[in-house]
Amino acid sequence: MVRPSKFEINQRSTGSTLNVSVTGELDLQTVHVLSEHLEESVGREITRLTLDLRELAFMDSSGLRFLIELNDRARQHGWQLRLISPRHEAAALVLRVTGADAALPFQPDSDR
Amino acid sequence: MAKSLTERLLDRAHGGVVSLDHEGVVTYWNPSAERMFGIERGQALGRPVAELIIPERFRAAHLAGIRRFLAEGAGPMLDRRVEMAALRVDGTEFPIEMTITALKASGRWTFTAFLQDITWRKNAERERERLVEELREAVRLSERRFDAIVGSLNDPVTIRDRHDRLVYANPAALAHLGLESLKDFRSATPEEIMGSYRGVYGGDGREVSMSELPSVRILHGEPAEPLLIRTIDRHGKERWSLLKAAPLLDESGELEATIMVTEDVTEQQRAERRSIFLARVSEVLASSLDYEQTLRNVAELAVPEIVDWCAVDLLDEDGDRVPVAVAHSDPERLQLAAELRQYEPAEPDPNQGLGLVLRTGEPLVYPEIRDELLVEAAVDDRHLELLRSVGLRSGAVVPMRLGARTLGALTLVNAESGRVLDSSDLELAQQVAARAAVAIENSRLYSERARIAHTLQQSLLSELPEIPGYELASLYVPAVAGTEVGGDFYDAWQLGESWLITIGDVTGKGVEAAALTALVRHTMRATSEFVTSPAELLARLDRTLKKQPGRSLCTALCLRLDEDRTTLSVGGHPLPLQITTKGVAAVGEHGPLLGAFDGARWNETVLTLEPGETLVSYTDGVIDAIGDGERYGLARLSRTLKGCRARSASAVIDVLARALEQFQSGPHADDTAVLALRRLAVEPSQAEAREDSAARRPAITIGT
Repeated sequence: MVRPSKFEINQRSTGSTLNVSVTGELDLQTVHVLSEHLEESVGREITRLTLDLRELAFMDSSGLRFLIELNDRARQHGWQLRLISPRHEAAALVLRVTGADAALPFQPDSDR
Repeated sequence: MAKSLTERLLDRAHGGVVSLDHEGVVTYWNPSAERMFGIERGQALGRPVAELIIPERFRAAHLAGIRRFLAEGAGPMLDRRVEMAALRVDGTEFPIEMTITALKASGRWTFTAFLQDITWRKNAERERERLVEELREAVRLSERRFDAIVGSLNDPVTIRDRHDRLVYANPAALAHLGLESLKDFRSATPEEIMGSYRGVYGGDGREVSMSELPSVRILHGEPAEPLLIRTIDRHGKERWSLLKAAPLLDESGELEATIMVTEDVTEQQRAERRSIFLARVSEVLASSLDYEQTLRNVAELAVPEIVDWCAVDLLDEDGDRVPVAVAHSDPERLQLAAELRQYEPAEPDPNQGLGLVLRTGEPLVYPEIRDELLVEAAVDDRHLELLRSVGLRSGAVVPMRLGARTLGALTLVNAESGRVLDSSDLELAQQVAARAAVAIENSRLYSERARIAHTLQQSLLSELPEIPGYELASLYVPAVAGTEVGGDFYDAWQLGESWLITIGDVTGKGVEAAALTALVRHTMRATSEFVTSPAELLARLDRTLKKQPGRSLCTALCLRLDEDRTTLSVGGHPLPLQITTKGVAAVGEHGPLLGAFDGARWNETVLTLEPGETLVSYTDGVIDAIGDGERYGLARLSRTLKGCRARSASAVIDVLARALEQFQSGPHADDTAVLALRRLAVEPSQAEAREDSAARRPAITIGT
């Protein structure tokens, strides 16, 4: 099966802030990759996580479920989660359809 | 006195010359004698020789000798070389060699003695004797030292000379070879020694020939790396050895022999090979959930490295034996096994062999399988013949146990290798059996779980009711990635004069998703007894989900059909598509995902579904389906549906199912569910009615 696009995670950390950007498709097949990646990266010393979804080409309900659970964890453990909205419709759709675009901590894209 | 010619010649003689008269008085004394004894001629002449040069202890014998000669005319000392001690003027003694000649002149006897100082020669002789003695001692010592060092080594050491004869073996080597004495070793040829093994193999399992042995290679002038060999001795005992050889050179540097040390590395090799084997077994067992196949692979792994034959039997639910695998490295021998299997009863004798192990869960070991055992086990002559032709030598039956339950057994047999199974083999077999038991159980649990989840999910896809004036058809394609079951569902039920239709997707997989689906459906149905507004139904469901432990999320769409209107509310679900004469359009309003967000609210949309129009509700498995490099998507779905305007609901489902199947390039990663609701244009004809009833059952299609 040819995947529509390559899944990639890039990260940069400054002090207690971790910036993670994701490109490609966040779905059933790839969501565990991001999940495991953050599991390793987000430790006690990280108190702010910015998840940049701008270049995400697609997201399905399992990707959404992951974001909701990530937000739950941030609230439980008292660290701050910031999300940057996807630019691509195929990724933004599930957020809009489910109301997650309003309910999750999406930030206005400062670069735009 | 003038000297005679003879005297002048004798004066120059190298040796000492002394002449005596018949009474032993010196009459001549040459210069050599002067030097030899330190006595000048003038002092010597006229004096008895006995006083001059003969040590006192010999003087009496000397005088007696002269008297005897004069009386008898013969004597033992005459005309022979005689070694004796002589005396210098300073009183020191030294060895001389002397020859005495007696001459009778003018009626009187005179004696002339020719003397050689043999001190140097005597010294040299003594030196040689001393050296020889020292050498003997040294050899004795070095032999003892060699024996002390080599003889006490635990590692066998053998020496083979350049004529290919076996010349030495230390006690460890004798014991290793099962020989009584060094004599037995020396009288054997190398071929006989090597032939006394049942088999000699290399690290790779290949047979090793004499010419490959390091000692032989050295004798042939070839480089000799240490060689790892596995031997099976005549008692069937397996041993791993590392052979190391070195040349023994003589003084001239010529190759005289080779010395070979045999290091016993059995324990290390076994431990190493077994841990590799166990790692591979674990890998094979984890590779698939098809445990019958993995057990066959494990049996294949075990031959011929661990045993010659390996068989696996399982117990089924009724306690009957199910043969799963039998492995041997030679396919021809497997043929024999197939024939033997026909003699094995379906229910093995619970009091012996496999039956006993399956009943008690305790292993059985047959270190040596004797013919009596075969005779006892044989059913008839042909069976006995077959059993004998297998050449069974040693065997073990090991249960695959999980707690108190015995799931099956491994049977290990050695035949042609002749190797006797020992306690370490049994231990290894038990480790394999334990791992296999866990793998079998996991796999059974998993398939059981998958079966439960599947059954549960199927039970949640109820048969759709007949709704007067409408045709309702459905499609459900379960995910096939893994055997996990996803959480798509749909339902339709009557509520007084109204009908409620719902479709949704519980996030998550497997039994948990199925259980949550059941909760969602029952909540919807139960709540609908009191609350009939679709938006309120979703709100109640949202509350119920939020009370669940962990995140219980669900998308759902709820549609209420009343006689005069159609009400729709959507919670996090794709909007349904309405097929009208104008085209295909999404209807309704997006609402929040259920169970997810605080302060969520759901709105309702009132639709008009004209006769002949179809409303298609679907889960995201449809638009998320992956084709060659792209998703199916909403636009493609709309185009597909546009061509279905005049079609019945079941025809729409067929068209969509085919389109999805053609589009998808891999297995369905997610569940796919579609409901098509068509408002009938007129009273249905008989033909359409038949089509309707066929479409009411969910069309379960397994994707490719």
